[in-house]
Amino acid sequence: MLNSKAQSCYQCGKCTSICPMRRVSKTSPRNSIYNSNIYGLETKDIWTCLTCGLCPQECPQQVDFLSFIKQEREGKTPLDIAHLGVFTELAELSSRLNGNTKMEKTDSKYGFFPGCVDSLSLFLHDVKTDFGEITTSSLKLLDKIGIKPRMVQMKCCGHDMLWQGKKDVFDRLKNDNTKYLKESGIDTLITSCAECYRTLSKDYDLGIKVVHISELMDKLGLKINSEVTYHDPCRLGRHMGVYDAPRRALTANGAKLKEMEHSKENALCCGVSSFMNCNEQTKALRIARMDEAAATGAKTLITTCSKCLAHFNCLKNEKDTAKKYDLDVVDLTVFLARQLEAGK
Amino acid sequence: MSAEVAAEIPKGNGWEPNILAFCCNWCSYAGADLAGVSRFQYPPTVRILRVMCSSRVEPAFILKALKDGADGVLVAGCHIGDCHYIDGNKNAEIRINNTKKALAKLGLDGRLRLEWISASEGLRFSEVIRDFTEEIKKLGENPVKEVKK
Ligand code: FES
Repeated sequence: MLNSKAQSCYQCGKCTSICPMRRVSKTSPRNSIYNSNIYGLETKDIWTCLTCGLCPQECPQQVDFLSFIKQEREGKTPLDIAHLGVFTELAELSSRLNGNTKMEKTDSKYGFFPGCVDSLSLFLHDVKTDFGEITTSSLKLLDKIGIKPRMVQMKCCGHDMLWQGKKDVFDRLKNDNTKYLKESGIDTLITSCAECYRTLSKDYDLGIKVVHISELMDKLGLKINSEVTYHDPCRLGRHMGVYDAPRRALTANGAKLKEMEHSKENALCCGVSSFMNCNEQTKALRIARMDEAAATGAKTLITTCSKCLAHFNCLKNEKDTAKKYDLDVVDLTVFLARQLEAGK
Repeated sequence: MSAEVAAEIPKGNGWEPNILAFCCNWCSYAGADLAGVSRFQYPPTVRILRVMCSSRVEPAFILKALKDGADGVLVAGCHIGDCHYIDGNKNAEIRINNTKKALAKLGLDGRLRLEWISASEGLRFSEVIRDFTEEIKKLGENPVKEVKK
């Protein structure tokens, strides 16, 4: 509990004043430290936290609020998991199986991990988004820059398990995946998902270089002629500090980038994280973000996280959303690959 | 609910398949009833759980049942066009097929089945159970590992 430095909190409340959840509910980061396990107390606020990473940036005492939340949640039952916990069940089930781990036999040093996009398209079919296109697009783009990666067929990286407090499940997944990756002999792992990127580079000990695909996309040489806006996913932005790579990937290929009112370090959250707390309050956050995106006048909203993509598209397709957003929400790789196809 | 039922299923040495069956109230459950009153024999490998409609069965239930040690899961509903809630079973079909795809990736293919059994098909119910039990016997025990809590 010491490494989060939560004890040095002097309750100034700067965190609460910037907390996006605070705009729509009574959640308070300050209160969750005050009523934490450290002091033998308990609060529900640890479950409504989006772990978006805004408040640690403000903290004068440099409390690592994300590690704090992770520790507080460990071993407890989550308050509210969306989609009836189907993704949680899937990850738990796979953590207890040996799994069919076969790796393509080529001598490429690159591995590509698509993350959970396949199960997203299986269980979120009402979001009407082709998540699998992220994988096919990524492979097309990598092919264009001369990388022929091996498909990494490991289990779920365990991101959601970790943040839902299921440390035991996460550890099982982590052990299996680490063993699998070490045996595979790749030295660079490319991933198209912001969450996998965070988890594999920060919560794993791989000894393998992990790169997010957006970091490789600036040399495509495309001539895109449209206006786009970019949403920073919390996992890629504030958690990993990757702000410029996806922007460069867009501008270097000719797209005109229009920034939203809040961007980079101050970007608003898409509203839901780790499949928890999908409710009216977080929906208000999603609407706020979509409004900002619409206000830029761009017709395409680009993101690099499959979860953000799902949340925005879910909102867009909702029947009772009074406002209709005239925006295409697409993943960065999908956007670039479509332009690549069109340019041929 | 599925978890409690699945957890009660004993795992002995003389292994027999343990199948969890979700039967919709309006057709399949009545079909199972008819199998009973007509004394059609079928193996005692199945635990039946009544749901109002086959579309009530969430993928999460199925995954949870398998995680907790069920060897097979059967989802039974009315024939297409006969669902009490008009097109519940069409939705169930999409869902179950997607769940099957997810299970295939985990190496658990063949452990989930979707069948349409009407209230008058007592014989068919017993046949389905017999057939599914045979298939699960061929596949063997659920490979899910027990974990210490
Ligand atoms: S009521 Fe039987 S399947 Fe819907």
